Amino acid sequence: MNIARPVLQVYDFRELILLLVGRDLKVRYKRSILGMFWTLLNPLLQMAVYTLVFSTIMKVGVPGFPVFLMAGLLPWTLVSVATIGASVSLINNQGLIRKVAVPQAVYPLAVVASKLVDMVLSLAPLVVLAALLGRPPGLPWVFLPVALLIATVFSAGLALLFSTLTVFFRDVRHLIDILFQVWFYLTPVLYPVSYLEKLPYPWMKSLLMLNPVVYVVQCFQAPIYEGRFPEARMVLLASLSAAGSLVLGFLVFLRGEKRHIHYF
Amino acid sequence: MPGHLRFENVGMCFRMYREKVNTLKEAVLGRFRHLKHVDEFWAMRDVSFEVKPGESVGLIGHNGSGKSTLLKIAAGILTATEGAVHVEGRISPMIELAAGFDPDLSGRDNVFLNGVLMGHTRREMEAKFDHIVDFAELREFIDVPVKNYSSGMYARLGFAIAADVEPEILMIDEVLAVGDERFQQKCQERIRAIKEAGCTIFFVSHSLNTVAELCERVLVMDHGKLVFDGPPQPAIDRYRELQGLSRPPPVRGPS
Repeated sequence: MNIARPVLQVYDFRELILLLVGRDLKVRYKRSILGMFWTLLNPLLQMAVYTLVFSTIMKVGVPGFPVFLMAGLLPWTLVSVATIGASVSLINNQGLIRKVAVPQAVYPLAVVASKLVDMVLSLAPLVVLAALLGRPPGLPWVFLPVALLIATVFSAGLALLFSTLTVFFRDVRHLIDILFQVWFYLTPVLYPVSYLEKLPYPWMKSLLMLNPVVYVVQCFQAPIYEGRFPEARMVLLASLSAAGSLVLGFLVFLRGEKRHIHYF
Repeated sequence: MPGHLRFENVGMCFRMYREKVNTLKEAVLGRFRHLKHVDEFWAMRDVSFEVKPGESVGLIGHNGSGKSTLLKIAAGILTATEGAVHVEGRISPMIELAAGFDPDLSGRDNVFLNGVLMGHTRREMEAKFDHIVDFAELREFIDVPVKNYSSGMYARLGFAIAADVEPEILMIDEVLAVGDERFQQKCQERIRAIKEAGCTIFFVSHSLNTVAELCERVLVMDHGKLVFDGPPQPAIDRYRELQGLSRPPPVRGPS
């Protein structure tokens, strides 16, 4: 299969992705009084609840827990919300797919782009929060655009994969909710990755470290929470995970693309 | 040469699963038996024709005769099961005017969304914007969500966009039926102008008079077959004959 042509076709429709993102944002905040504020409020509320439960009640011994939590929660939310949202994107846009011949990958990719906008917006309260808790943005923050790129590419691959699978098997829509719930607790977002060292069996740690999101999340935790650049090995593993996710997602998507219309 | 379209023995087969299986559980419980019990439905078969640049071709036929399937294959929405399709030049990828309209967005946003869906850049659409709005006579309502438009306004905007995006092969599907008489006149003039500019036109309609007026050649579809290809008047006669003599059209296949 020649992969360059479909990639170029999607690239040709990049403006369509932007317009679809605009459509999503406009429709989402229509007639809501707080509008964009909901986007900022949501992670903050989540942070407040998790801090209460895990730091105050259960006493996970992590200093500056809210900042640590936000650093991991933001990329995790991008990955999970983008994938879950994109999983129904083809079904939701079937009206267009039946009538307009454009590369169908634009629909899941537009969902990812729209969630990326949300995430970038919620970086603003994070900056304020981090500064208040004595971890003001420093030089390592310049790594964040790279980290964002990695997280976005990783999400895009999952989004493509799950959007096409959902067309053929509607169960995926329900399965994915459970999958991401389990995945969330297995990913070091509520606890630092160093806690895995304390596991009773070393194979458990090895198993959990196979989770590619660990590396993606750490690309955020290192600069935001620890105030340092992530290690090269970490960045390499995260980039490989992202590239692997995108290639896998795109190939599976292309295999199904022409048959989608028969399964709506 | 741009604007050239050729179908060679094109057929489109829809597989209709008797038992609709939507979930993994059903598939596993049925041991994927549903994949074997398939009814084939040929929406179109052995269709061959060629459209030369600058021609305007009408397409008529009863409901379910395969007109939409033909257009969808030409546009690239469906992939033909058999045969070969050659398209040279930019074909409008949309088989219905206003297909890309989002009811919640304003007319303005929809102009851009539809233009970009048809393969234009936003910058190009900015240049065309005033012309489109003036042609559709919707200046006053352009910032109103299109769900509040009347069906005539909807169609006017759809036609105005499609007519202004300048594909080399333009497909027009049943639009002139909606607007009032004055607007229909305006559309017909516009189609003639597009034709004179050398654009290939594919025109699908149940209004035989309009087809006769606008097209120099008409294809007649009947139960998935191309039964006539020639000048409008004999084509219309053939179509009427088929309507009177043939069995009532079967239920429309999936589209």
